[in-house]
Amino acid sequence: MKINRRDFLKTTAVTAGVIATSGLTEGALVKAAHAAEPQTRVVKTNCRNCTGDCGVLAHVRDGRVIKLEGNPEFERSEGALCTKGLSGIQALYHPNRLKYPMERVGARGENKWKRISWDEAIDKIAQKLMEVRKKYGAEAVLGSTGGGGNPNFFSVGRFLDTFDSPNWFEPGAAQCYMPRTLTFMMMCGMGIGGAPSLGDSSCLEAYFYREKTMRCFVIWGTAPSYHGPSQAGRVIAEIRAYGAKTVVIDPRFTPDASKADIWLPIRPGTDVALQLAWIRYIIDKKHYDSDFVLRWTNLPFLVNTKTKMAMRESDLKSGGDKDTFVVWDAKTKSAKAMQYPYDEKLSPALEGRYTVNGIEYKTGFQLLKERAEPWTLKRAGETCWLNPDDIERAIKLYVAGPAGIGLGVATDQNPNSTQAAQGVGVLDMIMGNVEKPGTVLQRYNDKGLAGQLTAGTSTPLAHFLSEKQLNKRLGGIEHKGMLHWWTAHPSSILEAIKTGKPYPLKVWIERSGNKLGTVANTYEWAEAMKKFEFIVHMYMYPTSFSMNADILLPLNEWLESDAVVNSFNKLYARQAATHLFETVNEAWVWARIAKRCGELGHQGCKDAFDPAKTAPEAPYYDTYEEQLSACVSIVGMTWDEYKKRAPIEINPMNVWRTYYNYKEIDPKTGKPRGFDTPTKKCEVYLESFIELGRTGKPFTTYPLPPASKDYDPLPYFIEPEESPNKPIAKNFPLVMTNGRLPVWHHCTLRNIPYLREIFPVAEIWVNPVDAKKYGVSQGDWVWVESLRGKTRARALLTEGIAPGVVYMERFWNPENIETSTQGWKEMNVNILSKNTPPFNDVCGTYTLRGYQVKIYKAPEGAPEGVWIKPKQFQPWMQQPSAPTPIVTLKNSSGGK
Amino acid sequence: MKKKTMVIDLDRCIGCYSCEVSCKMENSVALGVNYNKVLTLGPTGTFPKLEMYYLSVLCQSCKDAPCVEVCPTKASHFNENGAVLIDKEKCIACLSCMEVCPYGARSFNAEAKVVEKCTLCEHLTGGELPACVKVCCAKARYVGDADDPNSIVNQKIKDAGKDNVFSMPDEGNTPTVRYILHGKTAKWQKREKWQFFPES
Repeated sequence: MKINRRDFLKTTAVTAGVIATSGLTEGALVKAAHAAEPQTRVVKTNCRNCTGDCGVLAHVRDGRVIKLEGNPEFERSEGALCTKGLSGIQALYHPNRLKYPMERVGARGENKWKRISWDEAIDKIAQKLMEVRKKYGAEAVLGSTGGGGNPNFFSVGRFLDTFDSPNWFEPGAAQCYMPRTLTFMMMCGMGIGGAPSLGDSSCLEAYFYREKTMRCFVIWGTAPSYHGPSQAGRVIAEIRAYGAKTVVIDPRFTPDASKADIWLPIRPGTDVALQLAWIRYIIDKKHYDSDFVLRWTNLPFLVNTKTKMAMRESDLKSGGDKDTFVVWDAKTKSAKAMQYPYDEKLSPALEGRYTVNGIEYKTGFQLLKERAEPWTLKRAGETCWLNPDDIERAIKLYVAGPAGIGLGVATDQNPNSTQAAQGVGVLDMIMGNVEKPGTVLQRYNDKGLAGQLTAGTSTPLAHFLSEKQLNKRLGGIEHKGMLHWWTAHPSSILEAIKTGKPYPLKVWIERSGNKLGTVANTYEWAEAMKKFEFIVHMYMYPTSFSMNADILLPLNEWLESDAVVNSFNKLYARQAATHLFETVNEAWVWARIAKRCGELGHQGCKDAFDPAKTAPEAPYYDTYEEQLSACVSIVGMTWDEYKKRAPIEINPMNVWRTYYNYKEIDPKTGKPRGFDTPTKKCEVYLESFIELGRTGKPFTTYPLPPASKDYDPLPYFIEPEESPNKPIAKNFPLVMTNGRLPVWHHCTLRNIPYLREIFPVAEIWVNPVDAKKYGVSQGDWVWVESLRGKTRARALLTEGIAPGVVYMERFWNPENIETSTQGWKEMNVNILSKNTPPFNDVCGTYTLRGYQVKIYKAPEGAPEGVWIKPKQFQPWMQQPSAPTPIVTLKNSSGGK
Repeated sequence: MKKKTMVIDLDRCIGCYSCEVSCKMENSVALGVNYNKVLTLGPTGTFPKLEMYYLSVLCQSCKDAPCVEVCPTKASHFNENGAVLIDKEKCIACLSCMEVCPYGARSFNAEAKVVEKCTLCEHLTGGELPACVKVCCAKARYVGDADDPNSIVNQKIKDAGKDNVFSMPDEGNTPTVRYILHGKTAKWQKREKWQFFPES
């Protein structure tokens, strides 16, 4: 029986004997799907090539997706669709899709595989997990996720909770978004969705551009035109067209910078220094909203200068309330408890140092002021390589307002990560830019449904992870901010793999585009991978990582998958437009592994199917459809009904979107609702960071031992460990940053022909001054080298980057996965990035931006085997294929 | 007489390439061939005082189109909406149209052995907009009748004011595509000669 070439991986050699005996061609799998659909059918669905979920109309004919358009009904994208979304068809019908579960038959890296059944694959994985658990403990099982746009982000964590291993990670997390969701959740109760992240469907006020509420948007360390052209990039274009001012803080001259009123090309890694200067200027010139600061932040509260803790009424007098805070009353010149929300009889001092019962206290505001005091515009200019006059002009636009600050991933990618989130929180909060028209920080009334439903298939089962195992989480005691996403620390994991200390890791199950493109200091990880007994990779297509795996599992593309999607006050449905080969939904894979482990005697895995035991979280189900139905039962529907009826309104627009929610009277207390923080105020002085570091509260399931030092409640700047101001600059003179292009999300889609013909290789932006200094001409191939290794990139000489700074895009080369480089060595910026201390104390963030490199011309030219000319990508052009039935196992059916 | 054309607002354009990729998907354009391409003009100036804009280049929908005049088989023609199209059945791949196009807006499809170009998606009927217009992230593209003073394209040109509306150099071919660009975004870069798709 002949095998059609689209049936098997072209780049993944399948052993001949297996092919001959498999007996499964496309024809055998396809039932009469062709004739059944003479007309084109339009499936209303949502993209998932990033986290934006843009509305898509997928045109399907004869079971094949033939065209994608934006869905104008979907509020956040209004019919726009970016190149990542438009790639859906080329990704879906990519000839190199992983199509069936495969098992390694040659040596690791030899790229020889045989097809196995899903039953066999699940059984082999479960047997190995149980064996390792018995021999080394469950903690020897490592999970990881990422890859951009994973709709089941927490499903790996959910499984490991169930299995009782504390160790999973994501190359993002502490390096992407978590520092912001954590900080904003703790500062004002706005976490995921509320933290200002232009790339994560927040900053929604800007989407109401027609109302012209927002008069200034500060785009800090993010390039919406690049990361979200159809959403954030689009609405920034709209607010500009409606006359709003924009300030862009970015080392690169991006499209947003080119259209901004002020561009501040900051030195990578110094954002917090600039923020402190903004804070100082605003306090000094009294631009802050003193009424909001007094009434709705915790800055008037007295703080013990020794313990750094805020004074409670119980510290003032015996029998005093532990949750009532204390101010210095200027009228009576004494410390007085301040009843929530505000005591009009008191005149709280905003500034000052006071002694109460022999102990020194300062107001939070005083401490903030002192923290910012050294940061004059001049000093910030020197530190950040900016013109102080430009900084001042930018601040003036911001304080004129109404304004808000939008952040991106840049500030998350160096050890100043949580401080940068704090810095922005401080600025918007002291300016009173909170729940006002035209500000970024807003809460929306979605009845708690949006988060619950969109995460419904992969919420963690934190209470399944035992106390003993939680204590073993690698890096978990030192960096307790990670408890927020319930994840472990990548550098601590790498150390454990390398040294076997504090314990060895033996199995790695991974789901993402290419870990070897995304983790810092790639060579060390590639070496460490050899220490694993067993590696599983699940994804839509093979990557460099797959070449080192023992089992490959094929996952759905977004055009084959179902999920709940939220936009504004509505819930939408991602729904499969077709289904190919034996691909499945990731959530289903984890449930199947859990099921099998349960059958093999794992009690937690058994219990995870019992709703009484998993409550309040959902259990695992036998099919993905049951799981989805259970998820949407909250809105009284089965999945089948839901996807037919979507979009479904959660709340009318005027209920969903209201300003000044904190002033709304809570009928239970008769008092204003305030913010979801311990003080119900904006906690600009982030005292709860201290308790987090000491115990893990409010995220931990069990009290944990303290970190080696207290986390700082106020933002502070640390000069990058590798810096142009340090001796390392003698050999490595250039500061490296990275960032996005509009056609990629993280390490995905490097195999899409229509995208690669636009950006075939990784470019490094070099200012002509540096190019001259280092002997590099336009278009030259250069070596880029750091203390950790070297890689190549093509030089783009541009004035759009400061002298002394270079930018390089993340990249890997799928065309080379069969070669000795496995495609990750050619032009991979993360070969250079820094995975060593110092880490951000709260989250453990390492350094992906703001470290030192050197460049020199590569006389060898382009890396061997990489595709550069458009025609070279021909082998990757889509090869449409007929749909196939959903995968079924012996004991449970499959999931789309 | 109708004259279908396009107006592109470069103040809005954020250089996302959606027009380029949607065009290729809609028209199954071969690798290395473009009907429409996004060029980055700049940054010009010296760091940090810079300007940059994106220029989406495509057939300029000429009124006195030399490609139509020169075509020996009438493969290149105006349709009833005034769009310049190529009847691939009639194209003999003599490439004379490619030689006379002042902008290099036409490409040779080596596989099909025909000349190709932007069709303004005239195959989409019933008032459907071209793929690139529908998908445009910054809503920077407008399509309409250049000869109708009330069409959206003329409305946009009027709103922008004549000092902020630009076109490709006219060598007697009367291009109708217009670009809107205000000095606040960047200064229009004049070039005497353009070659939109040098690879084809």
